[in-house]
Amino acid sequence: MNDLYLIVEIAGQRALLPAACVESVVEIEDIAPVPSAPPHVFGLFALRSRVLTVIDTIAALGAGRSCDGEKQAVIVHVDGHLYGILVDDVDDVVQIDGVPAHPRAPLSAGWARYSNGVLEHDGEPMLLIDVAAMIAGPIDIAA
Amino acid sequence: MDDLLGDFVAETRETLEALSGEIVAWELAPDDRSRLDAIFRFVHTVKGSCGFLDLPRLEKLSHAAEDVLADVRADRRRPDSGLVSAVLAVIDRIAELTDAIEDGRFIADADDARLIQALQPGAAPAPAIIPTPSTLEDDVAALAQALDAIQAANDSADDENEVVVVADVAAPQVDRPVTSAPATPRVVSRTIRLPVDLLDRMMAGVSDMVLARNELARRLRESGTESNTEVAFERLSQCIAEMRDSITRTRMARVEHLFTALPRMVRDISAELGKIVQLEIDGGDVELDREMIEMIRDPLTHIVRNAIDHGIELPELRVLAGKPVAGRLHVSARQVGNQILIEVIDDGRGIDADQLVQKAIASGILGQERAATLSWERKLDLIFEPGLSTAQQVTAISGRGVGMDVVRANVERIGGLVDVESRPGQGLRLTLRVPLTLTIIPALTISAGGQHFAIPRSAIDEIVRIGGDAVRMATLGGADIVFIRGTRVPVVSLNKVLGISERSAQANLVVLKLSGGARYALAVEAVHDHEELVVKPAAPIVMACGIYGGTTLPDNSRPMLLLDVAGVAEKAGVRHDDKGATETVVEDNDVDQHEKGAVPVLLFRDLDGIERGVPLALVERIEDCFSTSVSTTAGRMRLNIDGRLVPLVSCGAPIIEPKIRVLRMRDGGEELAYAIDIVIDIVPVAIELQRSTVPGPVSGVMLVEDRPVEFIDAFWLFAQGLGIEPASAQRPVCLLSDEDPWTRQVLAPLVESAGYKIIYSQDSGVAADLVIIADGTASEPTEAGAVLRLRQNAEERGGSPNSLWRYDRIGLTAELRRHWNKRSA
Repeated sequence: MNDLYLIVEIAGQRALLPAACVESVVEIEDIAPVPSAPPHVFGLFALRSRVLTVIDTIAALGAGRSCDGEKQAVIVHVDGHLYGILVDDVDDVVQIDGVPAHPRAPLSAGWARYSNGVLEHDGEPMLLIDVAAMIAGPIDIAA
Repeated sequence: MDDLLGDFVAETRETLEALSGEIVAWELAPDDRSRLDAIFRFVHTVKGSCGFLDLPRLEKLSHAAEDVLADVRADRRRPDSGLVSAVLAVIDRIAELTDAIEDGRFIADADDARLIQALQPGAAPAPAIIPTPSTLEDDVAALAQALDAIQAANDSADDENEVVVVADVAAPQVDRPVTSAPATPRVVSRTIRLPVDLLDRMMAGVSDMVLARNELARRLRESGTESNTEVAFERLSQCIAEMRDSITRTRMARVEHLFTALPRMVRDISAELGKIVQLEIDGGDVELDREMIEMIRDPLTHIVRNAIDHGIELPELRVLAGKPVAGRLHVSARQVGNQILIEVIDDGRGIDADQLVQKAIASGILGQERAATLSWERKLDLIFEPGLSTAQQVTAISGRGVGMDVVRANVERIGGLVDVESRPGQGLRLTLRVPLTLTIIPALTISAGGQHFAIPRSAIDEIVRIGGDAVRMATLGGADIVFIRGTRVPVVSLNKVLGISERSAQANLVVLKLSGGARYALAVEAVHDHEELVVKPAAPIVMACGIYGGTTLPDNSRPMLLLDVAGVAEKAGVRHDDKGATETVVEDNDVDQHEKGAVPVLLFRDLDGIERGVPLALVERIEDCFSTSVSTTAGRMRLNIDGRLVPLVSCGAPIIEPKIRVLRMRDGGEELAYAIDIVIDIVPVAIELQRSTVPGPVSGVMLVEDRPVEFIDAFWLFAQGLGIEPASAQRPVCLLSDEDPWTRQVLAPLVESAGYKIIYSQDSGVAADLVIIADGTASEPTEAGAVLRLRQNAEERGGSPNSLWRYDRIGLTAELRRHWNKRSA
């Protein structure tokens, strides 16, 4: 497992992203929408001449839609494509040893889909986000 | 060839580097299947390349190694350590030879045979890679082989062998070809290989530079700087633009690069197999990512080789099958939507899928029961199974069943597809579909809902404005349609497809072509600009929408989506193959147009530069011909069309260009050609002419699209072109009473061209309808109906009152016509 994780806050929930796939954290605005794409695809954004697909985490969790304006995004690399995962806040990069444990509490449908388990840091349990699932969005449920 | 050789060396070396780890690992674990496959593929590729690069030594070595490895793959032999070292020795030798090719050095081939011998089962442990020439036996053997080689060299007069052999005999102890100092200075190569990643970074850097430049330009404009700064800035801009161009080009290459090697390869392979193959190459100018080209090179080579080896039959068999002796091999590339299609079509025996199935069952790849359930296509897909071959015998060219599985693996690795289409006995079509990543495509930018989108220009038929004269919108059972110049085209609202609200009225229609010939009109709010865009594939989640072909970054650094024309049509429910419907409507519409009296009119620029029109129905075809096929015979221009002389009419301006364009017209029976300069357009026009006051080629003039257009008088044209040539019996007879050269050479053609048959003497017994005599001639013709007197001088001095000056062409022609008409009446 990756030992380094980035602590982010998504929809008021602190969670972990595996640092290995994270490229950077940027402020983005003026995002070009993608009409008729799934709701969790917020749009496209050009970062240093590369087009990245912005993923609206709030929409992915089924909790409405992020508002317009400047926001923070974690840039991740998945399968040769760049994505910007919208986050409320970015906290820190931490090292956590150990394997993600099964969350013993029943998670909400959204979180259950996007988490790879629970890791504990300084006594605080946090969900490890499955980035690929987050990008795929809730579309598979419908299919 | 040097390019090819260079490519081969670079490629082989690269693979060798990548393979070196595998080789060592294979030595440790000879049973490792995947490593074995990798090494096998390498020698197979080398063998293939050598075949057409004419490197017999490398080919012999790689073929031998391939044979052995094929046995191992088929479990006919166990990979013992002897075999592994023998194979490794061969691979090392391939590396040496590859280096030698580049340096232009020669390496002893004396122990090639030994290396090959060592591959055989039961052979003594392979000789070390660097033979140790210590023992007497070895020396003797080396000498014996060297002598053989000399013999062979003399036979083939191959200087390569000669040089090498001498060196070998003289100093067997320095038989270390790889490490020995090159005899000739190394030629510095002018090309280098770069990782694509680096090019990508350069590309990104330059794009950023462009954005920074734009930003700077804006700031400069706002602050109102001095002209000095502006000049410097302009220079900077230019540099950046040039750099961007060249860096863009580094990634792109024409498919031609892929095709240049084919003719030689096809020639060599077909010569070797005793087949006659006619190669046709098409679409070399399609641009493709360099990386893609490299990835397709091997698969294409395999496919072409297979086509000649398995597909195209021997000449005798082709004759028996009733086919032309020469097999046809067609290799083409074209861009379809966001894919590049590379097709290899041969007219050989095709693949019999059922036979394939039997082989698959025999070799245990396929169960009997499953085989029965397979469709023809699925059966054909078996050619992609590793280890299955359709060839009856294994040849040096192909037929080991390697290839197609490798082909598919290679193509799929770059996100492509391979399609097979086989008609047993008639031929095979293999299509490689590769994505259009990072290809630059000319695109049109449009907007809908305030957002910009790009449409590939290749898909655009035309752009029309709603409200224009030729455009009429209508609804049909709730569906929007538009009549564009008489053709019904379904309308698709981009806003509706995208599900976005309208910002302003959709005022423009972009008429798009779909594969198969269907068309639809995409209604958009605004049409902006033509741009060359670098298109990259969008994230899978975006591509899944089905209506986008990729993303692109225009200069304003706001990402733009490229529309997938076919996807949009599908989403909007426009049927692709609904061509029949469109055509029936054409008729309806013709009626519609006829009611208004409009007929299609061909507008063209005449030889004298004036725009003229002619009803399209009269024009049979438009043709280009050489002006050398125009002859002026029997008094007027004629055009030699396929060995027939067709009257050629023109407005009178001389034909200067070596090539002329003619309208071929037919009035139902007779045919003529009208020389023009260039065709402008075909438009429906309700012809309301302001009639011409004088008879002539122009019947009148009217405004078409606000330009005055002269209309050709078709009646005059045919009268001019044909009316003068009724059968000779019906022609009026003109008696020319004088037989001096002037009459014969100068007057006679004019009279003849006016439609008369000419006689010179009254004794012929034919009654003349008109007699032309020189004025002053005493002898008065007797019974003739009419007499025309020609006088020498322009003035009417001293001549008869009714006489005409003999060069009064107009008067003469009028008289001739008057008498002609009188006779006809």
